[in-house]
Amino acid sequence: MDLNHPLLASAVDLLPPFPSSHPQIQRLDRSLYCQICKELFSGPVSIPCGHSFCSRCIRGSLEVMKKCPSCNEPASEGSIRRNRALEEIVDSWEEARPIIHGLTSNNSRKRSIMNTGPKNAFAAESTKRPRKESTSRSVSPVKQSSDKKEEIDGDADDMIALDPYTNMAESSEDVKASCPLCDITMPIRDISRHIDLGCQPIKPRPKSQGRENLKADWKKVFSGAGLVKGKDVELKKITKPNYSLATPAELRSVLQSYNLSTFGDKPALAHRVQEWILLYNSNLDTSHPKSLGALRAKLNEAEASRRRDKEKGREEMASELKTSDGLARYAQDTKGEFERLRREIMERDKKRVGSGAEAPIEIE
Amino acid sequence: MSQFTTVQTSPHKPSVGSADSGGLAVNKRLRKELMTLMTSPTSGISAFPESENNLFKWLGTLTGPEGTVYAGLTFRLSLSFPSEYPYKPPVIRFETPCYHPNVALKTGDICLDILQDKWSAVYSVHTILVSLQSLLGDPNNSSPLNVEASQSWADQTAFKERVLTNYRPL
Repeated sequence: MDLNHPLLASAVDLLPPFPSSHPQIQRLDRSLYCQICKELFSGPVSIPCGHSFCSRCIRGSLEVMKKCPSCNEPASEGSIRRNRALEEIVDSWEEARPIIHGLTSNNSRKRSIMNTGPKNAFAAESTKRPRKESTSRSVSPVKQSSDKKEEIDGDADDMIALDPYTNMAESSEDVKASCPLCDITMPIRDISRHIDLGCQPIKPRPKSQGRENLKADWKKVFSGAGLVKGKDVELKKITKPNYSLATPAELRSVLQSYNLSTFGDKPALAHRVQEWILLYNSNLDTSHPKSLGALRAKLNEAEASRRRDKEKGREEMASELKTSDGLARYAQDTKGEFERLRREIMERDKKRVGSGAEAPIEIE
Repeated sequence: MSQFTTVQTSPHKPSVGSADSGGLAVNKRLRKELMTLMTSPTSGISAFPESENNLFKWLGTLTGPEGTVYAGLTFRLSLSFPSEYPYKPPVIRFETPCYHPNVALKTGDICLDILQDKWSAVYSVHTILVSLQSLLGDPNNSSPLNVEASQSWADQTAFKERVLTNYRPL
């Protein structure tokens, strides 16, 4: 029962707890943990009673019961709201935590920390959570500029290229001049179009310009797959299908539209759709959304791990049935089921007997 | 797309565990709980996985609270976690025979609302064990699993005798 136990040794992904000598910091730390997963909030949301959870966690819980897990007040998925302030607090706490943890756990190290700076002193200690990988905070201003247009899929960069303001200065290969009407500087070839449009900013043309490209662009517009529109649709939450009415084919088409496996029977499909919707919708409640590829990998990983657990469970069951104690317990557990089957067969026999043939079946 | 409905309260759920968070999340949460139990232990309560390669089955021990007929007695429990944990409660049994109104003497099954319909995802192994500890001294005699025990609860001296005759030390 020591902390070096192999089960805990694999716990490197867990954040180190604060020592009990600092109850105030313990309390602060605790208050930033989701009560469901017992980890720092990831994509925190609030429900009407005021309690907050990770988006993923509360969505999972509301599928099982439509109540707040903390106070039992009624709640539904529709009432979930993002809690941006909390998200910001958790984000900054995540950065500050290793520093403060170092200060609390070992006062003598204080000086060396002050000297070397927090980054170096705690590089080893800071167990970054995976969601950070997709977010590097100091990246291009475009990604941070608005919440809505954040990178959801890998190809979001296309969108940035169309932003008129950012690319204005970049197309420096063209000769520039200022507009005679509004004094905005722009490539000369754009000025007449700019004036025609009533001094509106002009979309810079793609660098590898040509008829082919233009044609493709127009095709995109006419096919209804305009870039902006497409993105908007992707950012919407997925509406849940009615699992009892949906046919396997319909479930498969949902899975297919997100490039997911369509393997398995209806329960397996429904389960996959359900889990995907959970992952997808909660991914929209955070400022650090993962890419669809990462979500897909997560889904697959969870499914594989569940399969492993199931196999393990079956093995265990088999080994338990080898012992007389386990056998007795199994008999006890399945007694009801056995009785039901027995009754059913008796009933069926009675009917058959009624039709003439005398064939009583002896059970036991 | 007519089969898609915005009503999310459909009572029909896929037959497979509905809100499965995936085996990985369960694993992580159980390790986290283990870590908490190890780093901030509570007196009279402990729990640990049965074997190194299976986090889904734990053994727990519970010491009877002072001032009750169970004082000084230690009980062993088995905890088995479903893959939908923490959205679904773990199955908990007394492995040590426990003569108590809400515990089945033979099987060790426990009748406690938070382990059935009152379960919530915020509960943990720690909260369950604390609840069980207080259940020992404060039984719910209106819904007994052991009817005889619930009837003899009134006479504490006689009750304690029965607890001790049924008890088997670890």
